[in-house]
Amino acid sequence: MTLPASRPAVAEDLVLGMSPGVVCEPASVEEAAAIVGESCRSGRSVVFAGGGTDLDVGARPETLDVLLRTRRLDRVVEHAPSDQIVIAEAGVTLGALARALAPAGQRLALDPPLPERATVGGVVAANAFGPRRARYGSVRDLIIGVSIVRADGVVARGGGKVVKNVAGFDLPKLMVGSLGTLGLIATATFRLHPLGEATATLLSAGLKARDVAALGGRLREAQLEPDSVAAFRTGTDRFDLAVRFEGFARGVDEQRARFAALVARDVRTACDLLDPAAAGELWARQDATRRAGTFRAKVAALPASLEKVEAAVLAPLAEALGTASCVCYPTLGFAFVGGEAADAAAVAAAVAAARTSLSGAGGSLVIAAAPEPVRAAADVWGPPPAAVALMRGVKARLDPQRRLAPGRFVGGI
Amino acid sequence: MTTAAAASAGALAARLAAIVGDAHVVVDEAELSTYECDGLTGYRVRPALVVLPASTAEVSGVLREAHAAGVPVVARGAGTGLSGGALPVAGGLVVALSRMKRILEVDYDNGFLRVEPGVINLDVSKAIGARGYYYAPDPSSQSICTIGGNVAENSGGAHCLKYGFTVNHVRGARVVLADGTVVDLGGPVLDAPGYDLLGVVVGSEGLLGVVTEVVLRILRKPQATRTFFATFPSTDEAGAAVSAIIASGIVPAAIEMMDRLAIVAAKAATGLDWPDVGAALLMDADGPAAEVEHTSENAIELARRAGAIEVRRPRDEAERALMWKGRKSAFAAVGRISPNYFVQDGVIPRSEIARVLREIDDLAAAAGLRVANVFHAGDGNLHPLVLYDESLPGQEEAAEELGGAILKLCVRYGGSITGEHGVGHDKAAYMPVMFAAEDLDTMGLVRCAFDPDGRLNPGKVFPTPRLCGDRPGPHRPHPEEASGKIWRE
Repeated sequence: MTLPASRPAVAEDLVLGMSPGVVCEPASVEEAAAIVGESCRSGRSVVFAGGGTDLDVGARPETLDVLLRTRRLDRVVEHAPSDQIVIAEAGVTLGALARALAPAGQRLALDPPLPERATVGGVVAANAFGPRRARYGSVRDLIIGVSIVRADGVVARGGGKVVKNVAGFDLPKLMVGSLGTLGLIATATFRLHPLGEATATLLSAGLKARDVAALGGRLREAQLEPDSVAAFRTGTDRFDLAVRFEGFARGVDEQRARFAALVARDVRTACDLLDPAAAGELWARQDATRRAGTFRAKVAALPASLEKVEAAVLAPLAEALGTASCVCYPTLGFAFVGGEAADAAAVAAAVAAARTSLSGAGGSLVIAAAPEPVRAAADVWGPPPAAVALMRGVKARLDPQRRLAPGRFVGGI
Repeated sequence: MTTAAAASAGALAARLAAIVGDAHVVVDEAELSTYECDGLTGYRVRPALVVLPASTAEVSGVLREAHAAGVPVVARGAGTGLSGGALPVAGGLVVALSRMKRILEVDYDNGFLRVEPGVINLDVSKAIGARGYYYAPDPSSQSICTIGGNVAENSGGAHCLKYGFTVNHVRGARVVLADGTVVDLGGPVLDAPGYDLLGVVVGSEGLLGVVTEVVLRILRKPQATRTFFATFPSTDEAGAAVSAIIASGIVPAAIEMMDRLAIVAAKAATGLDWPDVGAALLMDADGPAAEVEHTSENAIELARRAGAIEVRRPRDEAERALMWKGRKSAFAAVGRISPNYFVQDGVIPRSEIARVLREIDDLAAAAGLRVANVFHAGDGNLHPLVLYDESLPGQEEAAEELGGAILKLCVRYGGSITGEHGVGHDKAAYMPVMFAAEDLDTMGLVRCAFDPDGRLNPGKVFPTPRLCGDRPGPHRPHPEEASGKIWRE
């Protein structure tokens, strides 16, 4: 049976080098449900794609018959400014959403790179985030409702459109980071935050990992509430630390002054207030660093362990890559490393060694993008999580025939 | 209990005693009766057995035995829940976690601590307070309720407006599944690869597993807190003030509303010199000092412009504590103005507060009852207190009906049947008002993955439990369904 809203695949529809048999671009949730239901019933596997910014995350699907693009699911369904919530269809880009919310002085506080491509559905599915996570948390802290299309074509909702709600299981959180393996995220509902009246970015250059971690702790001890904290790795054990404060002007001025004093006292380094143009450039550079390279990895560790992570993970990985781009979110415990993996065996070895070092304290290294030789030499996910059997059980209940991106998720799910 | 049931309970008791020790298996009828209800005392069921394990291994052993015996299990913390979530099942087992109350690890540098489920909420903040840290979720029962119960209910509190709910503060959990399997979900490091099953377990009301260890996020105390109390002619002006404050870009730490009846009750209970007015707001702003000065002054100005009669600022911490005591005592204080009452819990979009309160008034008037309102206005979480007199024929039933009508009103306005008390036993019948059959079915599928036999806290949350079948596969009728012994609606 011919699927609705379908067309033949073209070059841009390749997923990790695989060409889907057919591409569907539904214009409504109902149409999407018909496509998913019919595909799965007829034994075809389905991968969902938004802007494609995180399509490289995860293992290559075992099969790919249907690529469902959410591009035309582009409506902002409801924005209630006084309730600070928005309901958006999966294909709305973060850029379009920001433009829809800004007139009301509001935003969705999620700032992953490439906002003009990244979509609401993709950001939820990939658990994408940016430096503002330091203050606002991640998708799981901001999503309050979801509607999904299950593998059997059934449309189901979870959560609601009020911020406070504990009725039923939290299906929105189950979908966060599920990479299209449990169902299509058709719409998502988020809580919003006010746009800041003022913003200030400070930069302190040439710090050691130990100082970066210490300053992260000092920020907290000093009761400062930065909007973003990002440390650019400029060389072996060398970081430029950027801290951004946002909010009402009085609060921003006071906080940035206190932070500068703290840096001067504790690490005896200059801490420059960037002018708006320079600040804009710096945060654009942050985005670019996150996207640099055909090999990209996300490292998660305890925030206070940055010095150890630099020595055991970042430095060896940078060396294996030759030239590496790296930015850390030191208050959260993340590092993003990217580069060209010319020597796949060396990169795979560095990844394996890094995982051994990180696993002791519960950390992880996930490969977010990699050329084929690295994928062949290293598992993109690393060792399966302790609860993988339970995760398989959830997958088996929601997608019993394994039609949705089979094999893409952890442990071969 | 029948003789056969008593005999099998006795056999199970012996096996459980081998795991936890004789002293920690309750079989005595009088003792069992202390477990027959939670904070919602209208529902009572005596369990067959109560067991008090002291470790994850013991909980696992207990659940394995219960699983083998096919006995339903209800986990219980302090029993302060208000939705009958810890209501025992007749002939079933209650696993009380009150002996597991150790704080296992505190890591200030990485902002977390690890606790057992029986630790009292407020004791977490007390343990780390001297270092200037605290645990943010603050349900009104925080001096007695436990972390395990908070995790089950995804508890909130007045300050979750800014800081979020339990789920935003739980980083990891050790969970014992229905068959005794122990799984670790999440941990101190963020973004563990895999599905966010932790996010599903939090707030699952004891249906997915028994939590035996929890990793909690801890926060540095804010630099400054500014509180004010403002009075208004009616809830219309107070509601408008809340909307104006939020619309201005201020994120209060908490903003609470009380209506005339609630103020009268709180005054009677505490002796506070609050005036007789139609409504009052109590707001906290917290954060860096300069920011808080600014937001607090702005919020006061907005409250005045919205029609505030009077604005009071506490002179010191003692006076601030007294204001909050007035707010927090308002529930119980209602007992001074009515022989009986019950607390409802529903959520509406906060922009609809004034309209919904008027509709609640109309519903109450039509039912010949009074409703006092004291609630978390910032996030639209209403707590209507339905006042009645059980000695008057028909009043209790009328009050229950009114409570149900209020829930339906919340859903009609796009809200929820519960903001923080949970669905439990009490509101399972209202789930279909808020969710479609497909929504409930999907939640049921998740439950099947965790507990295919539905032995953990049966009868709660879902009005019609989904049948799981033997193994995952496309839908086919359950054998007993096909034979007509059971059916689904």
